[in-house]
Amino acid sequence: MKRNLTAATLMLAMAVGTPSFGQERGGTMNFARYDGSRLIDPIYADRNPDIWMVGSLFDTLLRSSDDGKSIVGGLADSFTVSDDGRTVTLNLQADLKFADGSSLDAEDVLFSLDRARNPDLGPWAGMLGNVADVTADGNTITLSLSQPDPTILSMLATFNTAIVNKDVFDAAEGATDQEKSAAIFAAGGAGVGSGSFYLCGFEQGASMDFCANEHHWEMGADGKPLPYLDKVHFEIIPDDATRILKLQAGEVDAVEFVPFSRVAELDADPQINMNLYPSTRIIYSPINARETRADGSANPLHDVRVRQAINYATNKEALIGLILQGAGQPMRAPLMSSSTRLAADMDLYPFDMEKAKALIEDAGFEAGTTITLTTLAGSADDATIFAALQQMWAPLGIDLVVEQVDGATRGAKNRSGEFDIHTYGWVDDVNDPSQVTGWLGYTPVRHAVGTGWESARFNELFEASGSEMDQAKRAEQYAEMQEIYAEAAPLLFMYETPFAVAVSTAIDGYVQTPLGANIFSRATVSR
Amino acid sequence: MAGLQYILKRLALMIPTFLLVMIIIFLLVRMLPGDPALAIAGDKASDADLAAIRNRLGLNEPLLVQFWLFFTNVLQGDLGRSILMRTSVMGVIIERLPTTVFLAAFAVSLSLLIAGPLAFVAALNRGRWPDTVIRTVFQVGLSMPVFYIGLILLTFLAAHLRWFPVGGHGDGFTGQLYYLFLPSMTVALYTSAIIMRNLRAAIIEVLDAEYVQFARAKGLPNRLILGRHVLRNALISTVTLLGLSIGNLMSGTLVTETVFAVPGLGRLMLEAIFARDYPLIQGLTLTFAVLVSIVFLLTDLFQSLLDPRMRLS
Repeated sequence: MKRNLTAATLMLAMAVGTPSFGQERGGTMNFARYDGSRLIDPIYADRNPDIWMVGSLFDTLLRSSDDGKSIVGGLADSFTVSDDGRTVTLNLQADLKFADGSSLDAEDVLFSLDRARNPDLGPWAGMLGNVADVTADGNTITLSLSQPDPTILSMLATFNTAIVNKDVFDAAEGATDQEKSAAIFAAGGAGVGSGSFYLCGFEQGASMDFCANEHHWEMGADGKPLPYLDKVHFEIIPDDATRILKLQAGEVDAVEFVPFSRVAELDADPQINMNLYPSTRIIYSPINARETRADGSANPLHDVRVRQAINYATNKEALIGLILQGAGQPMRAPLMSSSTRLAADMDLYPFDMEKAKALIEDAGFEAGTTITLTTLAGSADDATIFAALQQMWAPLGIDLVVEQVDGATRGAKNRSGEFDIHTYGWVDDVNDPSQVTGWLGYTPVRHAVGTGWESARFNELFEASGSEMDQAKRAEQYAEMQEIYAEAAPLLFMYETPFAVAVSTAIDGYVQTPLGANIFSRATVSR
Repeated sequence: MAGLQYILKRLALMIPTFLLVMIIIFLLVRMLPGDPALAIAGDKASDADLAAIRNRLGLNEPLLVQFWLFFTNVLQGDLGRSILMRTSVMGVIIERLPTTVFLAAFAVSLSLLIAGPLAFVAALNRGRWPDTVIRTVFQVGLSMPVFYIGLILLTFLAAHLRWFPVGGHGDGFTGQLYYLFLPSMTVALYTSAIIMRNLRAAIIEVLDAEYVQFARAKGLPNRLILGRHVLRNALISTVTLLGLSIGNLMSGTLVTETVFAVPGLGRLMLEAIFARDYPLIQGLTLTFAVLVSIVFLLTDLFQSLLDPRMRLS
């Protein structure tokens, strides 16, 4: 399995970064998705099935490098940040075009960035909250910031800052920006984006087609515009077993979200490459750290020693074996160590039952106390997690019971604090650790992912890191935040998982990035 | 004239039925735990975002105000805007309806084609081996969950033998016949088991009836006895059962359309429930209520054709 993971990493690096020669052109790649897109617009995309497709239809000014550790040019071929960190200057490439051949210029950039930072429009406006003004002089774009922002370059490489065609929006039907956006998406066509593809077919909840943008600025190994494919055809198949059967029957070329229990079987199929792409996906469980439960009763999990004890008593390697068939790794730091910048070098709560028992005894935990684990109904993974934890925590005297709910109910419970512990997952949307750190620990964002845990020092460090331009100092701040967080254990830290995508051997060059984006621009098909 | 009056009376009776359905579904979806704003914006949304969405959707209005808006809009043919699809509920339903109706009609046709002849064979061979074999096979079909039957058919007929596509819905009449055969057969296998048992029992009962014995004594040909006397009388209770089965069949499409990746109303209903898409759930429930009411009406009309004793007035 490690071989697959390494191979996928290499493929990601090679496919995104290194040109290869003798590429075939043309053909259609058929891709089976677990859920359909509903509106692919940079600023309105708020679900992963939308977000992960934005990059195929719309380009950003900057991009993340292949290894995800730095920022490189996109539509802008050069960029600088002033010494005081308050001004970002970008130079737009010459002769850029949208997919319909119309020119992409500074006016489109100003329009797109104004949309992206308008808090009355999309939910992502806060990511550009420090941008006070955007101006243009010819192909030079200048962003003036209200305070230094170490994340600004990452934000300009994020989907919500992708460039849309102002003229298309001006001409679209609709009284509001959102209505115009919906009308443009419903009509499809090549005019609105400059990505390597444009939307050329859409049937809500059933299928979607991307056609090649022949005006794309990025060149392939053969000196012609990317992509190599003529078309990508998507079919929406929510059922895991049916999606896989489609691939095995040769009706599609790739399926995403392969259940880990099927990975070994597909890996053994000579017609299929079973890829495990490195991801920023973590599976964890928020622990209600409030003094009392929602019903007013005393909360045993308020005691940090109890939270630490259950972390020590959880054998993450065993969970990974049971659920991921070994295709993952334990969370070694509060930030995903495999793919996130500034992740601390630590060994987070290795399995140690003796230490767990000592902590639980020290906390005066009453044996036989019932703790409820809220899980997703119908999730085989969650059912396995419950069964394993019930056994793992029994020696501590914990009577673990399960409450099964659907996703919307679990989300509501997380916000209201009506839970003891519940399963959860996360994937980064931004190539910067600030998003996940704010989510997991900064009180004003979401009360430390609904746990009710609060640390004044953590909040202070997070706020300071938001304007710290010295990378070494910022790294220190993140290291201290992770130490505080690890010690307080407001989560049951579980494991990091890759993205499991099974691809026919007829396809080469498709990748899924650690943020989840599907990259088809360098994919080829040879049947 | 009596028939027309009966139809008008039945149509008038549908009005309170639909009103009741509207009230129940309106209250039920709002009793579901979980916040539609959260379902729309996702777990990562801020509290301010959620408050803005609730405000925009009118979810902060009192329940009575919300119901009045829903009710008056429905009277004007407006089922609202889907939260999930960001488009009109009516538009989405009209787009998906033909696929589900095709699937249901195809499944009912297959059920009758399977159950009818086999019920006759079983009844005419009562207690002998053909009867035992047919009843045993259908008993197995009846006891298996629909999704399991679907997966077995998919694995062998689609993935292994490649006689049929694994999923999708196809274009045009023949395309739909080809793509929807397996999902229809999945539903039909279950429904036909129920119909076959009922029809077999009804045929046996009618075969023992005095008027059939009399017809035989008169020397009428067997074909005429079976076609005119036995089948017609045995079908009366089966038609009722078939009408009731179509209600079950509609709920069966939730599973079948998901397993076979058919973009119909059943799959849409599941998506709407998980997303707490109130307008879409309400619109779909009303649509199902209308469809089932129409089926019941047609069932009654067909029964009156089979049995003159059932006076429409």
